[in-house]
Amino acid sequence: MAKPKVSAVMKQGKLTPWLYLLPALIVMGFFIVYPMINTVSLSLKNKDGTASAATTCKEGEPCWGIFENYRYALTEELNTTTFETTWQSFWESSYGNTLKWIVFMVSGTVILGLLIAVLSDRVRYESLAKAIIFMPMAISFVGAGVIWKFIYDFGTSQVQIGLLNAIITGLGGKPISFLSTTTLNTFMLIFVGIWMWTGFCMTILSSALKAVPEELQEAARIDGANEFQIFFKIMMPIIMPTVVVVITTMVINVLKLFDIVYVMTGGNYNTEVIATRMYTEMYKNFQTGRGTAIAVVLILAIIPFIFMNIRRFMAQEAMR
Amino acid sequence: MRKNILLLISLLLVISVGLSACGGETEEVTEEVSEEVTEEVTNELGIDCMGAEAGDEVSILSQWSGTEEENLNAILAPLADACGIVFNLESTRDQALLDTRVQAGTPPDITFWNVTQLSQYEDLLVAMTDLGVNTDNYADYWKDIGTVNGKWLGLPVKADPKTLIWYSPANFEAAGYMVPTTWAELDALVEQMVADGYVPWSLGMESEDATGWTGTDFIQDILLVTQGPDYVSGIIDGSIPYNDPGVKEAYEIYGKWAMSETYTVGGAAGTVSIGFNDAILKVFSDPPEAMMVKQSGFAGGTITGTYADLVYGTDFDFFGVPEAQGLQGGSDWMMSFSDSAAVKALVAYLSSDVGGEKWAEVGFDLTPNMAGADAYTDAALLKKGQILSSATGFVPDIGDSIPSGFGSAEFTGITDYVNGGDLDAILDSLAEKQAEALE
Repeated sequence: MAKPKVSAVMKQGKLTPWLYLLPALIVMGFFIVYPMINTVSLSLKNKDGTASAATTCKEGEPCWGIFENYRYALTEELNTTTFETTWQSFWESSYGNTLKWIVFMVSGTVILGLLIAVLSDRVRYESLAKAIIFMPMAISFVGAGVIWKFIYDFGTSQVQIGLLNAIITGLGGKPISFLSTTTLNTFMLIFVGIWMWTGFCMTILSSALKAVPEELQEAARIDGANEFQIFFKIMMPIIMPTVVVVITTMVINVLKLFDIVYVMTGGNYNTEVIATRMYTEMYKNFQTGRGTAIAVVLILAIIPFIFMNIRRFMAQEAMR
Repeated sequence: MRKNILLLISLLLVISVGLSACGGETEEVTEEVSEEVTEEVTNELGIDCMGAEAGDEVSILSQWSGTEEENLNAILAPLADACGIVFNLESTRDQALLDTRVQAGTPPDITFWNVTQLSQYEDLLVAMTDLGVNTDNYADYWKDIGTVNGKWLGLPVKADPKTLIWYSPANFEAAGYMVPTTWAELDALVEQMVADGYVPWSLGMESEDATGWTGTDFIQDILLVTQGPDYVSGIIDGSIPYNDPGVKEAYEIYGKWAMSETYTVGGAAGTVSIGFNDAILKVFSDPPEAMMVKQSGFAGGTITGTYADLVYGTDFDFFGVPEAQGLQGGSDWMMSFSDSAAVKALVAYLSSDVGGEKWAEVGFDLTPNMAGADAYTDAALLKKGQILSSATGFVPDIGDSIPSGFGSAEFTGITDYVNGGDLDAILDSLAEKQAEALE
C-alpha cells in the first residue's frame, strides 16, 4: 500500500463527514425523531388515533378544538370555581407535586452534596465516606422504592415491620401511615429521591471543589477570612458553573422521575407527578391522545433546562 | 501472546453471554409435553384430537404463574399425552404485554384473560362455535356473558365467586356468634361484635398498582344485596350511571365500616395500607385482629399457606354474603386468535366432560363446565361449587367488564374516598369515565 500524501488525507470532500455520520443519523431519526413527531401528532387526535381531538369535545364545556387533549392535560386536575380552590387543587395536582419535587429534591441533593463534598475533603476517611454516600446510586429506582416502602410500612398489630414506625412506637407514639397521609407523603417520597441522588451531586461537586487552587484559600486564611467566608466568597464563585450544570441535570432527572412514585404509592393519595400521570393515561386508561399530550407538556417543560445545560457545556468547551 | 489469549477468552465469554441471552427466551416458556410423546399416543379418555397432529404447537399467554401454572399444566396433560400437542405457556400479569402483542399482529394462539378482552379484541377472535365447543356443558348465563354481538367469543374456564365472607368458626363459637342469614342479621352481628370489644372487619385493600380492588368487590356485593344483579348489569352496560343514588348508598355503607377504627382494623389508614393478603391473615392470627373478611375463594389457599395447621371447617370457613341475589365472581376466559386444529382440540377438550372433570379434580378454582360440578376433591371447592350452581345469576366484576381503564379508575376512586375524598365528586368523575369507556 502506498502511503497517501498528507494533503490528500487532509482534504476531505464536503460529503464525507455526513457519510460518517449517516448511520448514527439514521438510528437517531428512526428511534428519536420519528417517535417524537408521532407523539405530537397523536396528541392532536382522539384516544384511538383515528380522528382529530376536536371530536372529543363535549357540549356545554370549554373546548380547545384540536388542542382538546392539551386542555385536558393542563386543566383537568384543577378546580377552577374560585381562586381558593384553584390554588388548593393546583398544589394537589400532578403539576403542583412536580413543582414540590423540583424545589425540594434539587435543593436537597445539591446542598447536601455540596456539604458532604466540602466536609469530606478535610477528613482522612474521605474515600470511605464518599463511597457510602454514593452507594444508593447503585440501586435501581425500583429497588430503592421497595426498600423504602418497607421502611415506611404501617402496621396495625403490635409488631411493626416498618423501621420508622417501629422507632415511633418504641418511643411510645402511635404509628403513622406515611404513604397515605396526603400532607406528608410527597415529602417522604422526595426524601427517597434525595437519598438516591445525593451521591451523584457530591461526586461532581467534589471534583469541582478540588480544582479550586489551594493558594487562593491559603491567601484568604492569611488575610484573616474564616472558613465560611472562604467557602461563600471564594469557592462558590469558582465552582458556580459546575453547580449550575448539576442543578439543571437534577431538574431534568426530577421531571422524568416515575419509578419511586409508581412503586411506593402508585400515584394514589395525591402523590401523582407528570410522569405517572402520563403512564396512567396511556396504559391504564388507554387514552393515547391524552397520554401523549401530557408527554409533550413534559418535553416542553424540560427543554429550557436542556438548553441551559448545553449552553453551559459549550461555554466550558470554549474556555479550554 | 498473553494479550492474544486474554482477548480470545474475553471474546468467547462475550459471545457465550450473548448466546445465553438469546436462548434465555425459550427457558422462560415452559414446555408442557412429557417425554413419552414418542410412545404411541393413547386415547382411552375419548379425547378428540380434531385433526391435530403430534408436534403441533399452541402458544398460550395467561396471568397464571407458580402453583396456578402447575395446575394448568396438570389439566392440559391428558390432552398433550393423547394428541401430542405441545403447549408453550407464557405468563404475565401485565396487560400491556398482551395489548402490544395483539396490536403488533403477533398475538398468542390462545390467551386466558378477563372478560373485557372479549369486546376489546372482538374483531380478531375466532368464535367458539367455529372451534368445536361443546355448548351443552355451560349454563345460559355463562354463554351470555361470553357473547359479543351475537358471537360466542370466550369460553369461561375458571370461576371464583367473590361473594364470600371468611371467618373462624372456633372464634365465633367462643364468642357465641351465629352465621348470619340475612343482611339485617349481618349488620346486627357487626354491632354486637363492636359492643363485645372485637373488631368486626379486616378490610385491607392495598395491592400496589391495583390498590382498591377489595373495596370495589365489596361495593359490588353490597349492590347485589341492596339492588340485585340486573342493576349491576345495568352499570356494566351503561344504562345506570355510576353516580346513581343506589351506588352512593353502597359506598356509604362500605365507608361506614372502612373508615372507622371501631369497625375495621386500623381505620381508614389501615384499610388503604394493609395488603389484601395480610388482611385475610388478620382474621386467623393468634390473637385474631378481626372477626371477618370478605374475600374471594382464593383466601382459603392464603390461609393454609401461612397457617398450615388450620383445618377447613373448624378453624376457617366461609359463608356467602347473606341475601346477595346472584353471585359476583372473577372469571377467566379462554379466547382464541387462531383456528388451527390443535386449538380446536384444546377447545373441544376443555368444554367436554373429560375436561370439566379434570379441571375440578385438579382443583384450579371452580369450573363453569357443568360436567365438573361433582368432581371436586377439595371440601371448600365443593361448597363453593354448590353456591355457584345454585346461583340465580352470575355477574362479572364491574371493573373487569367495562373497558378502557374504568377498572383502575374505580380502584383509585375508592382509595381516594376511604382516604377522605369527597364522595360526590368521585362518583361524578367515575360516571364520566364510565360514559367515555362505553360510548
